Amino acid sequence: MVFLQLFLNGLQLGAIYALTAVGFSLIFGSTKIFHVAHGSAFAIGGYIYWWLASKLNVPWPLAALAAVVAASVFGLFMERFIYRPIQRHEASFFTVFIAAFGVSLVIQNLIGTVFGRGMETVSTPLSRSVEIMDGLFVAPVAAISIGVAILVFLALSYFLERTHVGIAMRALSQNPDLVRVFGLDPGRVAQWAFVVGSAVVVPGAIFTAMTAGLNPAIGTHVMLVSLAATIVGGIGSVRGAAAGGMLLGLAENLAYWKLDPQWSEAVTFVVLFAFIIFRPSGFFGSPTTAK
Amino acid sequence: MLKSRIAAAAIAGSLVWVGSALAQDTIKVGANLPMSGPNAELGEIFSQAASIAVKHINADKMLSKPLELAIEDSLATPQGGVVAMNKLVSVTKVPYVLSAYTAVSKAIAPIGDRAKVVSINGGAVGPDLAQLGDYFWNVIPLVNFEAEVLIPFVVKEKGLKNIALIFVDDPLGEAVQKVLRVEVPKAGGKLVGELQVQRSTQQFASIAAKVRELKPDAVYIASFGDQENQIIKQLRDNGVTQQLLSYSAMSTPSIAALPEAKGGWYTVQSADFNSSALGQRVAKEYKELSGKGANAYVANYYNAIMVFGILAQQLEKAGKPITGPNLLEQRRASPTFDLVGGKMTFQANGTVAAPVQIREVDGTGPGKLIK
Repeated sequence: MVFLQLFLNGLQLGAIYALTAVGFSLIFGSTKIFHVAHGSAFAIGGYIYWWLASKLNVPWPLAALAAVVAASVFGLFMERFIYRPIQRHEASFFTVFIAAFGVSLVIQNLIGTVFGRGMETVSTPLSRSVEIMDGLFVAPVAAISIGVAILVFLALSYFLERTHVGIAMRALSQNPDLVRVFGLDPGRVAQWAFVVGSAVVVPGAIFTAMTAGLNPAIGTHVMLVSLAATIVGGIGSVRGAAAGGMLLGLAENLAYWKLDPQWSEAVTFVVLFAFIIFRPSGFFGSPTTAK
Repeated sequence: MLKSRIAAAAIAGSLVWVGSALAQDTIKVGANLPMSGPNAELGEIFSQAASIAVKHINADKMLSKPLELAIEDSLATPQGGVVAMNKLVSVTKVPYVLSAYTAVSKAIAPIGDRAKVVSINGGAVGPDLAQLGDYFWNVIPLVNFEAEVLIPFVVKEKGLKNIALIFVDDPLGEAVQKVLRVEVPKAGGKLVGELQVQRSTQQFASIAAKVRELKPDAVYIASFGDQENQIIKQLRDNGVTQQLLSYSAMSTPSIAALPEAKGGWYTVQSADFNSSALGQRVAKEYKELSGKGANAYVANYYNAIMVFGILAQQLEKAGKPITGPNLLEQRRASPTFDLVGGKMTFQANGTVAAPVQIREVDGTGPGKLIK
């Protein structure tokens, strides 16, 4: 029974990790920008939802919509006013990284100043577990987060494979010049990548606000998870990031079955190292060789 | 337009220069506190309380020059604390530094000891903090005193004999583990399980499953900052209905506001703000500054700065410079202070003894007094 409990906990956490990682992977895969401020989009979305739903009692669909808008605007802002000016001067990877890191620190402090520095949670009966079998507890939010994760991935797959913008985003990841040949503006396509990538992080942020709570520094943890899931899943692969997030969530929880609790997070990194050593291209990434 | 902007920038720059030059004519004390990250809520409480004390010392003209608080961010990590301490000691050159968190305090104590700079702790409770040398002082009773009060109450009076412990893998958590291993059997109870968690862990649903398996009568949580809140919330969300226990880390405003924490019992030093005019003044100003009710941490960090103010005043009257060794000598000569919460006397090892209360989280800030 304990194994089943840990497995269900892992599925719930994996769904949240997958929702978190997939946006980062989409942005990185399309634009090759190491968007280290992705965790800030998560924090902004989560805090906007918490503030509207918990503090102002705004109906949850409106609060969720506002959170999506806020996260998307942040993504757009990063592309338009941070990354694009830097890239115009052909700055190095490290310049982009430091700029994004700096923005994430500013966002962390802004959130702390505006919303307070303590932990905040969205109190809801959905996060309260009920005993469905002897010793097996499941919260409604577990089923909801798994369901929402599946829906988001189906919608994202449709968007990337069936819409002009989605196809252009995939093309951008392969060959930006080719995008231009077809009369599209690579800059505009990159903006779409940031908007969509930042928007899909919001469901994960809302579920985190309900289950584990938010704090202004949460973006750092989110970024670590996103990065690990992206590497495990295969850099640039959206479905890989989803699978990677799910695997990490499961590994972190199943570790409790036989190991002491302090090992649970270490297991995440053991999985990561195992992929780096034995399958560096991840689940769905394309193998490449050094030239 | 450009010229006027350059002129404005030049004026602003010169004002900053003049300001910093004037700032040299102050007495500075340091604060090595967690101002960012998941423990920033406590850093904010500590620094606001200290700033009220600085304001009072300056308003009452206790010292010959204005007192200034130089705050550095420890990030609540030993590494961050050491970097901040080195800056305060070597660059800002303060004789007195506020500290918090057991791991940070243990990391910075040798630096203070070498430089003969006093570090004073008002938030960390690891029992080891009583043995960090002459230059490390505590204005908070350490967790061994808290456990000595809570555990007999829980085991003997409430009959909750089987206790599970969730503790963070840092010096604070390990200190609590050590104390409970002694106190629980001594009171006639049993420590049925010890679950150690990493400081960075944020997910506790599976810890809750482990706790349910142990079938304890009560669960003692030894963490701090946001992690303490996360453990409480996720235990309750995941089917742990047993009595929750903790130490003074459970006295934060965010835990008071957490519905899942309601009913939790915790120990905290007695800090009665209503018993004196000074206490009422501090509580009122803290409420105005933060919008929240004052708790024991507010009293501790206010008191920590006031201890400096009183000692420095005595040194100035005696014509002695305000240095770490002189502050230590003066504290030994006059170890009793009349502060928020009443009279406080330093013992020879730099710690204070204060009455410890058991309170219950009831959603009203300081909680309900149980014992």
